[in-house]
Formats: sequence, C-alpha cells, structure tokens
Amino acid sequence: MIIKAINLVGKTTIGFCNEAGSVAVFTYRAIETMFTTRIKFKKVFRQANHIGINSLSVVLLTGGAIGAIMALHTHHGLEKFAAESYIGSIVFLAMAREFGPVISAIMVTGRAVSSMTAEIGSMRITEQIDALKTLSINTFQYLIVPRILATTIIMPFLSLFCTACGVLFGYIISVYALGINPETYQESIRQYAELGDITRGLIKAGIFGFLISSIGCYKGYTTWGGAKGVGIATTQSVVYANVTIFIADYIISSFMTMT
Amino acid sequence: MIKIKDLQKSFDQKKITQGLDLEVKDNEFIAVIGRSGEGKSVLLKQIVGLIKPDAGQIFIEDENVTNIAGKERQRIFQKCGYVFQFAALLDSLNVFENVGINLLEEGVPVKEVKPKVIDKIEKVGLNPEVLDKYPSELSGGMKKRVGLARTLMLSPKILLYDEPTTGLDPITVRIIHELIKKTHDRHKATSLVISHDIEIFKYADTVAMLHEGKIVYKGPTKDIWECDNPYIHQFIRGLPEGPIQS
Repeated sequence: MIIKAINLVGKTTIGFCNEAGSVAVFTYRAIETMFTTRIKFKKVFRQANHIGINSLSVVLLTGGAIGAIMALHTHHGLEKFAAESYIGSIVFLAMAREFGPVISAIMVTGRAVSSMTAEIGSMRITEQIDALKTLSINTFQYLIVPRILATTIIMPFLSLFCTACGVLFGYIISVYALGINPETYQESIRQYAELGDITRGLIKAGIFGFLISSIGCYKGYTTWGGAKGVGIATTQSVVYANVTIFIADYIISSFMTMT
Repeated sequence: MIKIKDLQKSFDQKKITQGLDLEVKDNEFIAVIGRSGEGKSVLLKQIVGLIKPDAGQIFIEDENVTNIAGKERQRIFQKCGYVFQFAALLDSLNVFENVGINLLEEGVPVKEVKPKVIDKIEKVGLNPEVLDKYPSELSGGMKKRVGLARTLMLSPKILLYDEPTTGLDPITVRIIHELIKKTHDRHKATSLVISHDIEIFKYADTVAMLHEGKIVYKGPTKDIWECDNPYIHQFIRGLPEGPIQS
C-alpha cells in the first residue's frame, strides 16, 4: 500500500517534470524560430484578429460583470465605515492590476487557446504537420510563432478593454443602483490610481498571453491518438493554461510589488 | 538509390522493424507489400526522417541520412517526395495554396506560382478549375492527385507513396496506379510504393514483402505468381493458412 502510494507520487512527479521540460524545450524552439527566421506578419495579424474578435465579447461581458459585482460587494463592506467614496478606486485598482489580465486570460484560454490546440491537434493526427515537414516548411515558423506572437500582442488590448468595461459597470452600479455621487466615484479613481497600475496589468496580460498560447500550441503539436486524443489534448491545454495563469499571476505580482 | 541497413524501431514494447535491410536502385519502381500493422508506413517515415530509427542506417544517394536534422534534413525532403495515405492536404487552404505552398511560403509572387501549379495539376490529370476548391470539396481520388501534384512541385528524385489507393474504388485505383507509373517514367524517378493492393504488380518492377519487421522476399514482379516463397504465395492468394499467422 505504502509502496504503491510512493510509486504513484514518483510517477506523477516524473510525469510532471517530463511535461514541464517538454513545454520549456518547445517554447525555447518557438523563441529561437522567432529570432532566426522571417516572421510572417500577415499570419500574425490574421491570428491576432481571430483571437481578438473571438474573445472580445466574452471578455467585455465578464469584465463588466466582475466590475458590477465588485461595486456591490465593496459598497456593502465600506458602508459600515462610511467609506463608500473609495469604491471607484477599489474597483479600478482591482480591475487594472488583477481582474483585467486574469479574467481576459481565462476567457482567451476558453475561446482561443482551446481552438488553437484542437486545430493544431487535428493537423497532427491527419498528418498535415508531417506533410508540411516533407515540403521543407518550418512548422514552427508556419504554425506556432504566429499564434504565440498574436496572443502575446492581443492580450494587453483585451485586458485593457476588460478593465475599462469593469470600471464602467462598477460606475453604473455605484451611481444608479447604490446612489454614489458620480463625481465621488471619478475623484476616487483620480486620487489613487497611477499609470503604473495600468502598465503593470498590461505587462502581466502580455506574459499570460505568451504562456497560455505556448501551452495551447504545445498540446496541439504533441497530440496523438486520433479524435479522442484531440479531445484530451484540448481539455488538458485549458486546464494547464488556467493553472499556469494563477501560478504566474502570483509570481508576477510578488515580483511587481517588490520593485 | 536508397539503402537501408539493419533498421530497428520499437514503440514501447512493440517491435516494428527488426533488422530490416532493403536496397532500391536508381529509377527502380518497387512495391513494398505486407499485412496491415507490419510497419510499412513507419518504414517510409523513417526513410524521410519523420520517425527516428532506434538503430540501423539509411543511405540516400550514398549519404547517411539516419541522424541528420534541421536544415540538412530539409535538403533530404527536397530529394524525397512523400505522398501521404490520405493526401494530408491542409484543409484551411484551397487546392492552389496547397500545391503551391512551398513557393508561396518562400514569398514567390502568386502570378509566378500559378503557372507552375497549373502545370502540375494538369500532369496529375486534373482540370485547373479545381484550384479554388477546398479539400473538403474533393473526392478521395482527387485529393490523392492533388497530394501528388504538391509533391511534384519540389521535383523530387525519389517518390515515396504511402498506400496511395486505400479507400478508392477499382476504377480510381487503376487511374492512380497508372498515374504513379506515368509520373515514375516521366520524372525518371525512383519510386517506392507501400501497398497491400496486388494490382500494383502490374506497374512495379520489383516487389518486396515485409513481415515481422523484416523483408522476407524481394524479387521481380513479373515472376510473382510463379514465386515459391511461402510468404508471397500465401499473401498474394489471400490464403488463411501458411507462415503468416493472424
């Protein structure tokens, strides 16, 4: 029983290290390709357009909802201390620093990264990737680099829209449902918000974009086992990407608060 | 010329090729036959480097290509054209983009690529009207022809076909076989066709039989029906009894 448990822990640890190592090598190859081959800007733009348009509506919707909910909850707590005037700054700071990048990364994972994995995975199992190789086409340059670059570039924009939508809905709820003075809401933001809050959020979003697209492309590129394999790879890419977002969020936030 | 020496490959515990030796001469048209799951496709993929062998050596035109990678490997791809079992056309691209992909990716203008693509499309017996169609709009036979046209764009000296007639009706099978033969003669290429379709004997010069990871027979196709090799005898007649056990 104990040996079985140790075996299981050992196997899981080795499996995790193997997977993490493979993702690292894959990402290194992608970065190397970015710097050693010609970047196909047309493909990057097409992908960015695809990811942005696909994800924008859900990013706005969830950003707005988070902003509205936060206004409601903070009002409930701050009311006890007669500190409702801080709602604007709390909603803004939370959206710009945390919720904007994190929520948009989660939404992009669900909408675009999953489809990236499924698309590349289908190409893998139908030998389309092998066909590209036999035609002397660099598969990283053709398939992987445009997707990673596009997600990294588009994520800060989505995060910005998410933040703006959250602050706007926080304003609407605060002013029209909770009776906060519009000037108070705006003044609170002006008083406490700094440009650094926005830029840090945008940097975070860019890093999230790079990480989740690398995972999505890696899972697609290494898919095996037919249609079932594509399903498994897609599920895994969404799970791994979401877990990575939260781990990376903690690490980046710790680093940013230190500097 | 392709020379394979003592090729070995396993997937987990399953041994696929076990000390396989094969030699294909320049301009030879060889058919490699064998039962499903014997590793015929794996053999082809090892030749072009899509799968790395565990041991053994592969020579293409006297150059050892077993362990080469990167740009060197791309040079081999230029010599060896690979026609996939189900054509492996990129489903997000139309026929023109599929066939001309190599040149288009190099940045060659469309107006220069188009005549070359039309030439190859006509050589495989298709009408240029198909250029705007997507793979999902093509029949199985048409997809295989487009796949062959795409391979011919690189003007390879060696053509490798992975079960080119799987899933096709007898008439299309014949058309594809004739097309392979015509392409072989026209390009003075070395052709290696993986098949379990005995119709291929009408077109190939030589036949090799793969069984349990080794070549158990290699000889001219013209004598195949008189051949007393027990594996060949059983396989081409489809007999349930013999050295090949299910």
